[in-house]
Amino acid sequence: MSNLVFALAINGLVWGLIIALIALGLSIIFGLLDIINVAHGDFFMVGTVAGLVVAEATGSFWLALAAVPAIGFLLGLVVERLVIRPSARLASLTIVTTFGLSMILQEMVRASFGAQPRRMAAPVPGTIPLFGLDYELYRIIAALFASLCLIGFFVFLNRSKLGTWIRAVRHDRETATALGIPVTRVCAFTFALGTALALVGGAIAAPITTVEFRTGIDILPACFMAVVIGGLGNLQGTIAAAVLLAVLEGIITSVGDPTIARIVSLAVMCGVLLLRPHGLFAGATR
Amino acid sequence: MSRATLDRAAVALLLVALLAAPVLLDVLGAPFWVNIIAEILIWSLLAASVNLLFGYVGLLSFGQALYFGFGMYGVALSIGHWGVGFWSAFAIGVLASILMAAAAGALAVRLTWHYFAIITVIFSLIFYFVALSSKALTGGDDGLSFAAPPVLDLGGWKLSLTDPATQYYFILAVCLLCYGLKALIIASPLGLAFAAVRENDRRASLIGIDVYRTRWIAFVLAGALAGVGGALFAFFGRYASASYMVYHVSGEAVVWAIVGGAGTLLGPFVGTALLVLFRELVSGFWEHYLLAVGAIVIVAVIFAPEGLVGAWNRIGRRDAAQVLPEADAAAAAEART
Repeated sequence: MSNLVFALAINGLVWGLIIALIALGLSIIFGLLDIINVAHGDFFMVGTVAGLVVAEATGSFWLALAAVPAIGFLLGLVVERLVIRPSARLASLTIVTTFGLSMILQEMVRASFGAQPRRMAAPVPGTIPLFGLDYELYRIIAALFASLCLIGFFVFLNRSKLGTWIRAVRHDRETATALGIPVTRVCAFTFALGTALALVGGAIAAPITTVEFRTGIDILPACFMAVVIGGLGNLQGTIAAAVLLAVLEGIITSVGDPTIARIVSLAVMCGVLLLRPHGLFAGATR
Repeated sequence: MSRATLDRAAVALLLVALLAAPVLLDVLGAPFWVNIIAEILIWSLLAASVNLLFGYVGLLSFGQALYFGFGMYGVALSIGHWGVGFWSAFAIGVLASILMAAAAGALAVRLTWHYFAIITVIFSLIFYFVALSSKALTGGDDGLSFAAPPVLDLGGWKLSLTDPATQYYFILAVCLLCYGLKALIIASPLGLAFAAVRENDRRASLIGIDVYRTRWIAFVLAGALAGVGGALFAFFGRYASASYMVYHVSGEAVVWAIVGGAGTLLGPFVGTALLVLFRELVSGFWEHYLLAVGAIVIVAVIFAPEGLVGAWNRIGRRDAAQVLPEADAAAAAEART
């Protein structure tokens, strides 16, 4: 029995790291552009589909994993130019435009990829023994890959010139403009980067979830929970919250059913919003 | 013809058209459309609920489907499980959504800006999952069907919703009552307090308006509107299902309200009518019509953020143009302090 709890907790950890990657995109877009991207879950969904399609076309999952970020970045640039920038002056209405975008993305995938859910074979077959259970090897690799992406993102943000610009714009837009930082372009880049993160998360998750046009609707609440509990715009908090919530859901699932686990984490989120609206980890970093 | 008479004539024409619809459509040989108009009327109440909060008080709720769902389940449960009569079931449905809105609102209106939008989604998601998991009571995703009891039973003479025309006029009457009450509230001192809170909540509190209470009252009224819509929808379909409580339904209501015109009385109706008619006309020959709906939404928000009715009003009165962007700017300023 306790082995099962461990296995579900590890499962939660794997999912938590993937969700952390997606939520990070949501969080950085919110932190910089001050918009809530309701279509972010659908970016994840596009990532799962793109991963599957490229892997089937080229025969290599790893090639797909390399191609998907580029697809995501380009998609992000286009969306930022056509949808986000024109509606950004009406801040709260960006929720509505991104909702329209969500409809478009889902319908485009349904029209081209079909409505039938598909499954993708694990690119790395086999299992490894873990707490007396046989655990899928690919899931461990997925978790490692997600961690690598997270580390890479923070190295980029803290060490590169562009990363410094992003942090500067996030901190104080007016001063950044005065210092000659091309704020508009930094914002476009950041949106594209956030989109690419969501698509990468999708490509990693494709072999361990179903691939269909609806998956974004399920993933979006999980990402929002991580972002809100971690603190809107607080990146490290987002990652910590994503992992904690997923492990918590994994453990509750081992004793109750997944719906109860979902309700519990929603209730946690509700409490955090009301008692500590700036997140559980506010004050540490901002 | 002056602008005011033009507006009044348009509203009168709309009323006449709605009243004559069953007869007219019968003559034209398209009685099927009566049900579509009834559906537009019902969904427009959900959009009106969003509009009351966003257009008049400046709070964008993405969770109004919850109160729609409570109205729906209130009716379905009291008829299907407890065998209650028509009017009692109606009252139970609306009361359930009012109580839920009063409780959720007391917590939600403490927050503003994005936080408010997020917490309204959380509440609706929590109860969506509760409804989904308590299958014995609610039927989960499969839903709960029931047979509608007669509206009136006077000895041998029965008035029942099984007759499409009766059903239509019943829905129309309830909707007109709701829109009438909403118009009265907007014109009352309470409505002025709503506008003051929307424009600038700090100044509103300085002139003695209790901002928290004003927002809470608006939240409860909006919950009641959505609840009436849900109750009507349950009678209309003799059915209730958890799938109507998911946040995508709320999102659609937000879209209808904003495309029609936030902060206008008829905006939600116009927006709902436009998008439902679009669906009915286009979905027959183009399966992926949602692509166009998504594009319409984005284009509408970018080029006419005040919505269709708002744009029409702006053509009439140039000075009333900037309501929405200003409310947004005020909210943004508040969120940053």
